[in-house]
Amino acid sequence: MYCYVYDEALQDRRFERELAQIETRLTDLGIAGKIARLALFREPIDLIRDEIRGGVTTVVAVGNDMTLRRVIDAVQDRKTVVALLPVGPQGGMAELLGMPTGVAACDVLSARNVEELDVGEVNGKRFVQSVHIDGTDFSIHHGKQYVITPLRKASIEVRNFAAPDDAGMISPVDGRLSLIIRLPKFSLFKGKTDVGVIPFQEMFIACEKSITATVDGDQLQGKDFSFRVIPKALRLVTGKSRKF
Amino acid sequence: MAKGTGPETIIAHGVRLEGDLVAEGDIVIEGEVHGTVKTKGDLRIGDQALVEANIEATNAVVSGEIRGNIVVHGKLELFPSSKMTGDVMTEVLAIGPGAQVNGNVSMGAEAPKGKKRAETVDVE
Repeated sequence: MYCYVYDEALQDRRFERELAQIETRLTDLGIAGKIARLALFREPIDLIRDEIRGGVTTVVAVGNDMTLRRVIDAVQDRKTVVALLPVGPQGGMAELLGMPTGVAACDVLSARNVEELDVGEVNGKRFVQSVHIDGTDFSIHHGKQYVITPLRKASIEVRNFAAPDDAGMISPVDGRLSLIIRLPKFSLFKGKTDVGVIPFQEMFIACEKSITATVDGDQLQGKDFSFRVIPKALRLVTGKSRKF
Repeated sequence: MAKGTGPETIIAHGVRLEGDLVAEGDIVIEGEVHGTVKTKGDLRIGDQALVEANIEATNAVVSGEIRGNIVVHGKLELFPSSKMTGDVMTEVLAIGPGAQVNGNVSMGAEAPKGKKRAETVDVE
């Protein structure tokens, strides 16, 4: 049984036609289901959990990365399948998961190619993509094994899943997170950075003062950040063109 | 060079690591490491790197400075800019002109047991 969670932005009239086409295609494919609409002051967690208790086995976030994020926050079990049906302006997740935008995604959804992805956790908050921590004094502790200290101003990113870039390909199915440390180079050519990559399963970052970390687009205030990977915690529908 | 089984670890220039760095995959060190370094994969030490550690790796390419003993099960390459203070045990050794090695060097199949020892070598 499917449940479609519509982003609040899709209430805009410009999406009416596209949504009608999507709903028709889903009915043709035999995967139509209950529709739940997110709203500004409506907490999605209870809404989605009620649906799962009612027998829903697949929760589809209709919208973008933020819609998917809200669905993932609500789906904490390893049985329920989650999917993104991209409609409207997109972040990076649709491309990473190989989901085309709009009606074309219905067929990918119907094919139901489910992958088990790792999920990261920082101070109890789950993330699928990454956490950014910028420019402050910090030390990174890998249990009692070692301590890492940047010798000059640096930015940190903890990644679970991201498109390939200067830090290489970070896979969401390897049972690890990756700590990426970027340090600006002293160079005539601006924009050059030294990049360090350290794979890990558990790590602790201690900052000198309270800072704001960005967790998959959401803000998280704190001084100490405790990271761990939860292997195969999320079952996601992916397309053939997925980036992992 | 053979690849390790795990993901690559890169210690960037401008980063200091203190403790035991143990990895399944390859390790690249461009910054500072103080402690021990052990990998089932390959190791590359960049020309600006400083490694004060006992090291064990399958193969290693060194351009920077090492203060400590190194055990390499395959091939160890010391580039001209490298500076090594400590004992070397390796199956195969390649030393570029200008590389400095101050310590005991053991080579060949017997090397890991430490039976076959050469005198201190300084290559200038």
